[in-house]
Amino acid sequence: MTELLKAEHLYKQYPGFTLQDVSFSVKPGRIMGLIGKNGAGKSTTLKSILNMVRPTSGTVTMLGKDFFRCEKECKQKIGVVFGGTDFYPLKKLSSITAVTRQFYPDWDQKKYESYLTQFDLDETKQFRSLSSGMKVKYLLALALSHDAQLYILDEPTSGLDPVSRDELLHIFIRIVRDKKRAVLFSTHITSDLDRCADDITYIQNGHVLKSADKETFIRSFEHLKSPDDIKPLTLEDIMLRTERRLDDETAL
Amino acid sequence: MKLLYKELALAAHPTSFVFAFLGCLVVVPAYPYTVIFMFGCLAPYLTFLYARETNDAWYTAILPVSKRDSVKGKCLLILSIQLFQLLISIPFVFLRKFLDVTNNPVGIDATVAWYGFGLIIYSVFDLVFFPAYYKNGYKAGKAFILAAIPMALLMTVVEGVVHIPALAWLDSYAPRDLLLQLPILLAGILCYGLSLPAAYRISVRRFEKVDL
Repeated sequence: MTELLKAEHLYKQYPGFTLQDVSFSVKPGRIMGLIGKNGAGKSTTLKSILNMVRPTSGTVTMLGKDFFRCEKECKQKIGVVFGGTDFYPLKKLSSITAVTRQFYPDWDQKKYESYLTQFDLDETKQFRSLSSGMKVKYLLALALSHDAQLYILDEPTSGLDPVSRDELLHIFIRIVRDKKRAVLFSTHITSDLDRCADDITYIQNGHVLKSADKETFIRSFEHLKSPDDIKPLTLEDIMLRTERRLDDETAL
Repeated sequence: MKLLYKELALAAHPTSFVFAFLGCLVVVPAYPYTVIFMFGCLAPYLTFLYARETNDAWYTAILPVSKRDSVKGKCLLILSIQLFQLLISIPFVFLRKFLDVTNNPVGIDATVAWYGFGLIIYSVFDLVFFPAYYKNGYKAGKAFILAAIPMALLMTVVEGVVHIPALAWLDSYAPRDLLLQLPILLAGILCYGLSLPAAYRISVRRFEKVDL
């Protein structure tokens, strides 16, 4: 199975923070969750993959091509959403869409309109008048309407109500059902990943602590279980106990 | 063209379009006409400021374009605004002659030399402004101040020089004087033709190192 995305040994040096040796891959038909606490490097990882921040070193292979060499070609086949980022607040959604679709030869207007209906989006509204959840939904509608093979989403479910989150997770599952496409999304709402992720990559302090399929991932943290734990650990348990342990070690 | 369309539809500050039409000010009987070029320089400043506040760089970054294209879009937009401003002024120069308006007492008239000087002012401004902005991708104010200094100096020189009797031909519409002014226009075209591509190349090199 060829990976849709392969990040290898990504390094990015900032004053006070270093993304170090980040490597993982996303295969078709899979949903990968990128977890880690705030400031761990999830967004920096995604931005490095997309060349929005220039990695100090490392390679990104997307859809079998070197992303840094074939950026435009690769971007045609990906959908990207950064939750919490507002674009052109005074522009109407219809204006933003009219421009966006010019850049995608595979733009599917019918699909886009069906997402507008599904998400209850009114194209005549200005971007700023949308709630944060609706903004994410609009950006998702754009990302979902040009036949992308890989979806890279940064905190897409943050700010969404439980019903909308559930709706999105179902969309993610539907996207990967054909076994040709994949979703990579970062989140700190680990319960979302419990429900839909196939693979988990855990980033801690700028490096990958573990990247594996969900079952292997959970098994590899068995040592965090206490005698009182009867059920398998959830992703939230794993994150909390790992971060707490690190804090304890740092305090000592 | 897609890039220019995106810039015009989403990124350009609405005032930039107003500034683009201010070429028509050459019909005003008494006015420092080099100020028109200042409007052509304010347009990129306001547009870059507006683009920063509307997260234009982020939106562009998720489109299937590179950082090089992102810079290219902005250069195309500013090129369009500045050239449109000069072109739109031409019919108003003829209207001015048709209305038989007397010579501009403030400074230089909209002569062939004025167009040449305008292109030189744009060349210098753009060559400083674009690379200064793309060094970090957000300090539009600093880039404008840096570029506005040579712009203001050039404007002062152009307005002042026509008051020197020996150089009064720069302010004349006499066919013989217009011919004499032609090399200034050609120099302006040459400067602009070299400066904007240079500004673009330096800006791309700088912006590719910027982290969004």
